[in-house]
Amino acid sequence: MNENQLPSPAETRHPTGRHWVKSPLTRFVLAALAWLPVTFGAWYLLAPLLLWPVRLLVQLVARFAFGDLVRGIESGGGSLAFLTTLKPGEGMGAGVVSIDVNMLVYAFGMPLFAALTLAARGARSGRTLAIGYAVIVPFVAWGVLADFLKGIAIVAPAAIASQTGFSGLQRELIAFAYQFGSLILPAVVPAVLWVLLHRAFLERLRQRDVS
Amino acid sequence: MLRFFLLFVVMLAVLFGLELTPWVQDWLVVPWTNALALISTWIVTLFDGNVTATGKVMRSATNGFAVSIEAGCNGVEATLVLLAAMLAYPAPWKHKAVGLVVGILAVQLLNILRVISLFYLGQWNYDVFEWAHLYVWQALIMLDVLVVWLIWVRRVPYVDRGAQPPRSPPALAAG
Repeated sequence: MNENQLPSPAETRHPTGRHWVKSPLTRFVLAALAWLPVTFGAWYLLAPLLLWPVRLLVQLVARFAFGDLVRGIESGGGSLAFLTTLKPGEGMGAGVVSIDVNMLVYAFGMPLFAALTLAARGARSGRTLAIGYAVIVPFVAWGVLADFLKGIAIVAPAAIASQTGFSGLQRELIAFAYQFGSLILPAVVPAVLWVLLHRAFLERLRQRDVS
Repeated sequence: MLRFFLLFVVMLAVLFGLELTPWVQDWLVVPWTNALALISTWIVTLFDGNVTATGKVMRSATNGFAVSIEAGCNGVEATLVLLAAMLAYPAPWKHKAVGLVVGILAVQLLNILRVISLFYLGQWNYDVFEWAHLYVWQALIMLDVLVVWLIWVRRVPYVDRGAQPPRSPPALAAG
């Protein structure tokens, strides 16, 4: 059972005995807004560490699923450089094609989830944060991989894209995976996860309002 | 909760798939995005007359800076998330209809604030613009969606599905 609780009255009361803010939902929203700058700052500073599992997962998937396309992956802070086996094309000289992906674009759900969790003031916030982080990591990897695939199969010039061997249907799937992985998943996953992990909090929030 | 979650995921995937179809893009998304640029520009011209809108682009006549409202910044995806969340949640249809109208309005109003703020942040400092554009506003818009949904859920009466509605979620009751 999740032990999430609304902010205790003692912590949200004015010295005179009155609440600073009466509505528990408003208190939660204000707390979330107050936590966001903190969690975003920590997330940005710790990005190389927080995104390390994402890099490992991306490398694993790239090696097994796209081993013929990816020669190696280099990491630079919050971004990844995919070194491919693709050639730039005739008249473009020697060398290989590399695709840079900013992992942070797909990982802003981490600070959002942390701010929501800390604002809910659950008794087991640490455990909840760990679960949330573990669940969000694969979705960040999804976005990063889809971004890479979009880069070589859709955005790249025809001379490069043709070397990938992707069919028309596969390109459509890559486009959908990229759109879903960039427009929906990064923001929705932390919110849905927070709802699922804070059902007791939500129920109390609702019952207080009813009563 | 499981039923809600599954319905939400399916509806979101279907709605998002529909959004990507050429018909929906041509008849709904593009016109709405252009309208968003027009509305944002109209609001801005109340205090800054040197701004024009062309299609989905807002441009400053003073320094030439322009922002193009692309997918993800037009509030359509946030609206779809709210739509799926309200449709999936067990509630009377009347409450869903009212919640959707008010909720979509709330999401779009904040999105207009996002567009206008980004327009000026971009003219001030590009690094700050990138941060706000790529990370901060994305999180704030989803927080807005979540808060709107929470407010709506608090006002929704329990729906009787032929059984006594639980006072608490299954996990809580089992714990």
